Amino acid sequence: MADDNKPAADNPYTQTHLVQSGETLSKIAEKYYGDASLYTKIFQANRDLLTDPNKIRPGQKLRIP
Amino acid sequence: MKKPALLVLATLAAVLVAGCQNQRAPAEQAVAAAESSLTNIRDAASHYAPDQLQQVDAQLNSAKDSLAKGDYKGVLASMPALNTAIANLRDTATAKQQEADAANAKAKDAWGPMSTDVPKMVDAISSRVDILSKSHHLPHGVTKDSLASAKSAVDSMKSAWSDASNAASSGDYATAVSKGQGVRDQASQVMQSLGMTSS
Repeated sequence: MADDNKPAADNPYTQTHLVQSGETLSKIAEKYYGDASLYTKIFQANRDLLTDPNKIRPGQKLRIP
Repeated sequence: MKKPALLVLATLAAVLVAGCQNQRAPAEQAVAAAESSLTNIRDAASHYAPDQLQQVDAQLNSAKDSLAKGDYKGVLASMPALNTAIANLRDTATAKQQEADAANAKAKDAWGPMSTDVPKMVDAISSRVDILSKSHHLPHGVTKDSLASAKSAVDSMKSAWSDASNAASSGDYATAVSKGQGVRDQASQVMQSLGMTSS
């Protein structure tokens, strides 16, 4: 089992979220973690998809670690 | 008693003693052979048919007692039943061992995907628990208690998974799969309690 907190990209048990129009990483973090400031966790888990935490697009499927 | 009568009695006694002595070697050999047969299957029998082994041991010990008391005729008379009991024990142990081997082979097949699948479940939970532990407010549906339970569950799942892996390493796939399934079930419950089951 991995010791770090970053789930592998191919982990089928990592929850996913389909980005809706108007959403931000902070809003998504609040939904899943109850704390908007934890958006960086989602950003770090999706560095292969995201280059800027402020730029997410509807339809993107984000991993929620 | 007259001398002829004494002579007859002495002769009869001598014949009887000689007869008994004639049966001593066959009786000793029969007991030794039975003991050897039982030794050959003792390990398997003690594992797969311990109760039946106990009964056969009792029969063998009875034969050895008779041998020690010089009851060679009794020993030889008990041998067919003892040998049959040993043969039955061998059949039972062999059949049960074959069943266990087949079950273990089936479990080995199940262990393959399980060994990669379950750790991913636990990793996903562990990651979520670590993040939620840093959260100032828990998300809807997750309570402090459920988070505390999840934290505790991660430790117990890792421990149980270690046991399962060790069992697999030693070739005991039936135990490995049984323990692994327990971890999988627990992981499913924890994921549900943390709201990780829906996207």
